Order: sequence, then structure tokens, then C-alpha cells
Amino acid sequence: MFLKLAWLNIWRNKRRTLITTASVFFAVLLAIATRSMTDGVYENMIHNVVSYSSGYLQIHQKGFWDEQSIDNTFEADEKLSQILLNNPDVEHIMPRLETFALASYLEKTKGVLILGIDPEKEKEVNNLHEKISQGKYIETINDNAVVIGEGLATQLKLKANDTLVLLGQGYHASSAAGKYRVTGIIKLGSPELNNNIVYMPIQQAQYLHGAENRLTAISIMLNKSSSLDKLKTTLQMDLDTDTYEIMSWKEMMPEMDQFITADSTGHYIIIGILYFIISFGLFGTLLMMTFERSREFGILIAIGMRKRLLAIILLLESLMISLIGCLAGVFGGFLVVLWFTKYPIYFTGELKEVYENYGIEPIIYFSNNQNIFIVQTLIVLMLSVILAIYPGLKVIKMKPIEAINS
Amino acid sequence: MAKTIIDAHNVSKVYNPKTVPVHAVQNVHVHIEEGEFVALVGPSGSGKSTLLNMIGGLDEPTTGNVIIDGVEITSLPENKLIDFRLHNIGFVFQSFNLIPVLTAKENVGFVLQLQNMSKNEREKRVMQLLNEVGLEDKVNSKPGELSGGQQQRVAVARALASKPKIILADEPTANLDSKSAGNLLDIMAKLNKEEKITFLFSTHDMRVIKKARRVITLVDGKIDSDVEQIPT
Ligand SMILES: Nc1ncnc2c1ncn2[C@@H]1O[C@H](COP(=O)(O)OP(=O)(O)OP(=O)(O)O)[C@@H](O)[C@H]1O
Ligand SMILES: [Mg+2]
Repeated sequence: MFLKLAWLNIWRNKRRTLITTASVFFAVLLAIATRSMTDGVYENMIHNVVSYSSGYLQIHQKGFWDEQSIDNTFEADEKLSQILLNNPDVEHIMPRLETFALASYLEKTKGVLILGIDPEKEKEVNNLHEKISQGKYIETINDNAVVIGEGLATQLKLKANDTLVLLGQGYHASSAAGKYRVTGIIKLGSPELNNNIVYMPIQQAQYLHGAENRLTAISIMLNKSSSLDKLKTTLQMDLDTDTYEIMSWKEMMPEMDQFITADSTGHYIIIGILYFIISFGLFGTLLMMTFERSREFGILIAIGMRKRLLAIILLLESLMISLIGCLAGVFGGFLVVLWFTKYPIYFTGELKEVYENYGIEPIIYFSNNQNIFIVQTLIVLMLSVILAIYPGLKVIKMKPIEAINS
Repeated sequence: MAKTIIDAHNVSKVYNPKTVPVHAVQNVHVHIEEGEFVALVGPSGSGKSTLLNMIGGLDEPTTGNVIIDGVEITSLPENKLIDFRLHNIGFVFQSFNLIPVLTAKENVGFVLQLQNMSKNEREKRVMQLLNEVGLEDKVNSKPGELSGGQQQRVAVARALASKPKIILADEPTANLDSKSAGNLLDIMAKLNKEEKITFLFSTHDMRVIKKARRVITLVDGKIDSDVEQIPT
């Protein structure tokens, strides 16, 4: 009955209520769309960047990060892999041997990044094989072949099936030199990788460097919904931290983390302002709904209705008005997000370049993380409760006889 | 001897005591016994509404006290007083008594809802009340779809719903034509007789005054006369 009364009351002035709910609707829709977009962009950016580079987490020989030398590698250890794979938050582990070397083809020479990889694993995680633009992907873990970035190939004027000479420093000051068939050329989103990378099967890389069975890092990809920080903490307990260091991408790429924090702060402020404006509209409506009915409230108190009950009805009215707008906004936002997760937006022109410079695919993905929807709903609910406090207090302080005579 | 239901003891009301004091009601004694049908009359500004509001616990007397059915209401805390009104006093105001979004039935049932009466019981009682005020065919009409007289009859039915000891009505007929006014008074008189409900109502209307069995006249906040009469 009281619910019904509140419901009927909000429709006394249809137009005003519709305008108010519409403003809540648009605010929620906009907030969800922008949050989903920025979160999607960040998630995608992080995923892209880390899957080609560090992974979400990396395990190194202790001290490797400060002195990134082949001498600071560690022995690949079945037990270590087992501990990692047994953790439910870990989706993939990728053994890596990462070094710098000189690459030359005919009279061209260039500094390159050699990334010793498990070709099958990288295929699974990054779909590296799909990005091959010329030739083929690496077949096996000890294939005597490499895949190089398209930009690098262009600079060296090299085609698939040509032979690349690599010269670098091996384990314990040995020299590392070898000739490799370029089996494929790969086109990567990140120009930095595209212009510098040489993918090599890990066993070949170990052999090249005289670092049998040694790794610079194990990169960890985690399950989509898992928490990075939680995983890091568990691993720190599971592993011997005197031997290994465990770092997250945030530590290894602090610029990206800072960029995301700064960028999302801007978005939070904009959404905050949006809700602030909406609050005024809602508050105005609530005030009018209270004052124009003060005589009626006076009569209800006179015939025996407790003021608190009346204030609760006002609160219900506030909740209803904002919830209608909010639920419509959540539904609308859901449709928008659904649409754009199916048909993501592709950047063109300058923006595309900007994104590529950060090593990100120039695509806007939308995050469909349910937290976005829940958070917006909670914000609106909270606002409608807070905004109902003042009209509620007015009712509590109301003197029935004055209200009736007003 | 019937028992005293309203005992206003030496009540006074002074508005704006600090600036321009208005002595709206001065040292008034009113005793009304169960089942009486009393009109409160007097010129405009004589203090009728002020007195009724104090008797109904809507306004506090500056001095004196009001005892309804043995309960001294002047000293009740706010929520107790509201609950006391809910169970013991029915109100009919001059106009716009009802909640406009609810039907006649729901308006009457509202009070019973406040008393947590079960749905079935409520339904029965509401229909019976609307019957008594002759609105059995308007149960589902909203106030906006009813005439002024019909609205006041719904208000009377609502005032009656909680089976109060007294019904206080401040100029219930002021906005009605004389036919509807007479009709409303007849209904009130009938309820007074059949259900033994005590009525105290203020009015200016001579035809309404004639229906009362006792007439209290206020002049300048004091009781000028208090006479019994045979209603006509
Ligand atoms: N809230 C108030 N503040 C100050 N003075 C008031 C207030 N309410 C009433 N008065 C004064 O008290 C006196 C009595 O008013 P009251 O309304 O009780 O008279 P009434 O007999 O009901 O008049 P009417 O027949 O016009 O309704 C009047 O002089 C009025 O101006
Ligand atoms: Mg009056």
C-alpha cells in the first residue's frame, strides 16, 4: 500500500518525473558507456602490451631487473613451473630468454631484441601465428628458424627465407653468433616491437647464448577475472624470494600504470560532475514534491500517520524516480556495451598512430565487467537516499497545523 | 450519567506572545459527554479553529489542558500523540481532505492500514463505511472525480474508520452548497445516533447550526453561551 502510494505519487506530475528520470537515465547511460569504454581500452591496452612483453607477472632471477644481463638468468626448473601451473589464477606461463644482439643481412646491420620463446605457448596466448604477414610461423621449440618484425625486415631489406646473422654476448662472457633462416615476417601493433623483434625458439636461443636450459624470465598470464595483486602475494609466499623476484607489469612498466591512473582520474571527475548536475535536478524535484504537498502531509499527520512513515514514503519516491532512470540507463548501457563488444570501433588516422606508439591495437574494446553496472547503480541509489534526507527532515520537523493552514 | 469524553480545562491560546500577542482563546472550559452532537459557532476570528485544534491535539494550549477520554493529551510526546489521534480522534477539514491519487475506498482504508488492520477486515469495514455515507457506488472513484459534498462524505467515512471516540470537524460544510451541506449533516447526525460517536464541529451556517443538539458560541476567544436545543 505504501509502496503503491509512493508509486502513484511520483506520477502526479508526469512530465516533471519523466524529465527527472530521463536525466538520470542519460547520466547512467553516459557513465556506463564511458566507463566501459575506458576500462575496455585499458584492459585491452594492458593485455596487448603485457602479452607481447612482460606478461602480467614475471619471475626473474633475483636482481635481474636492475641488471638485465644474460648472466642473471636462472635455470628452468620443472618444480617451479609446477607450482605456477597449480595456481588456479595462472592461465599460462611462458618461458623466455630475452637478450639484445646485432642482426645483419647483407650490408645492413641493426640492434635487435632476441626473444627466445616457446612457439606453441605464444601461439596460444598471442595468436602470433595469425600476425605473420609473409612466410610461416616457427614450427617447434628447437627449429633453427626465426620470425622477425616487419619493420625490422624492411630496414634490413630482408624477405622470408633469407638468412639472418645474429651476433651478441652469451652466458659468462662467451660470444653468441649464429645464422638463422627467417621463416616468417610478423606484423605487430607496437612499432617498438615491430622494428626490433626477433622471435627465436627458446632452445635455439639458449644454445646461441650458451645458456643451456636457462631463462631470463617466466611470464605469467592470469585468468581474466583474477586479481593481479592477489596472485602476486600468493606467489611471493609460494616461491623462494631469495632466488626469484616476482614483478607485476605495473612495476616493470610504471609509465603505463601512471598513464592509466591519470587518464581515469580525468574520467572520474567528468562523471562526478555529471552526477553532481543530475543531483540538482533530482533534488529540485524532491523539494517540489514535498512543498506542494505540505497541506496533504499535515492532514496525514493529523489523522494519525507518523512523520517517519511519511519520510519513508518520500524516500521511496526518491528511490523510485532515480531507480527508473537508473535501471533504464543500465539496460541502455548494457545494449550499448553489447553492441560495441560485438562491433568494436577501429581508430583511423592520427589517433591510430598515437595508440600504436603505445604498442596498443588501434581498436576500442568495451569492457563488459559487471562492476561498471553495479557501481553506477549504487552511486544513483546512494544519491537518491542522500537527496531525500533534506525533504525527509522537513517532514519530521513539520507542524501539522501550520502545514494544513499553508 | 454518560461519561465525559472531552474535557478542555481552562485552556488559553496566545499567538505571538513576544511580538503582538493575540489572545485567540481565553480560559475556556468545555465538557462534552459521550454521544453529544455539538456545534461550535461564533464570528470569524472568535477562536473556533484554535479551540478545535487544541482539543484535537494538533495545537498546544498556552495554558490549561485537554483531556480526551481520560487521557491528558497536552503532555503526550509527539509520536504517542499521533498514535492517540489515530485511534481516538477523527478529523474532517474544510476541504481537500483526501489523498488525490487514492480512490475513495483506499482513502478510507488508509487509516485502517495505519492501524495494521488485516486486508479482509479492512475491505469489509471500508465498504460498510462508504455504504453508511451513501457512496457505495463511488468506491473506486478518485477525489477528483467526486463532488465537493461526496469528498466530504468520504472524509467523514475516513474519520469514522478507526472507530474514534470523537470526530472533530472544522467547518466541514464551508465549501458545500446548502443541499450537500444538509445531506452531510444528516449523515453525521445518523452516525451520531447509530454509532454513538461524539461530534464537535464548527460552522457559520445557520441551517447546520439548527441540526445540532447543543450549540457553544465563542466570542473573542471566550464562551459566550452554551445551550442545548432540539434539532430541526
Ligand atoms: N497561526 C496564527 N498566528 C497568529 N494568529 C493566529 C493564528 N491562527 C489564528 N490566529 C488568530 O487567532 C484568532 C482566532 O482565530 P481562529 O482561526 O481560531 O478563528 P475562527 O473562529 O476559526 O475564525 P474563522 O471563522 O474565520 O475560521 C484570530 O484573531 C486569528 O487572527
Ligand atoms: Mg476557523
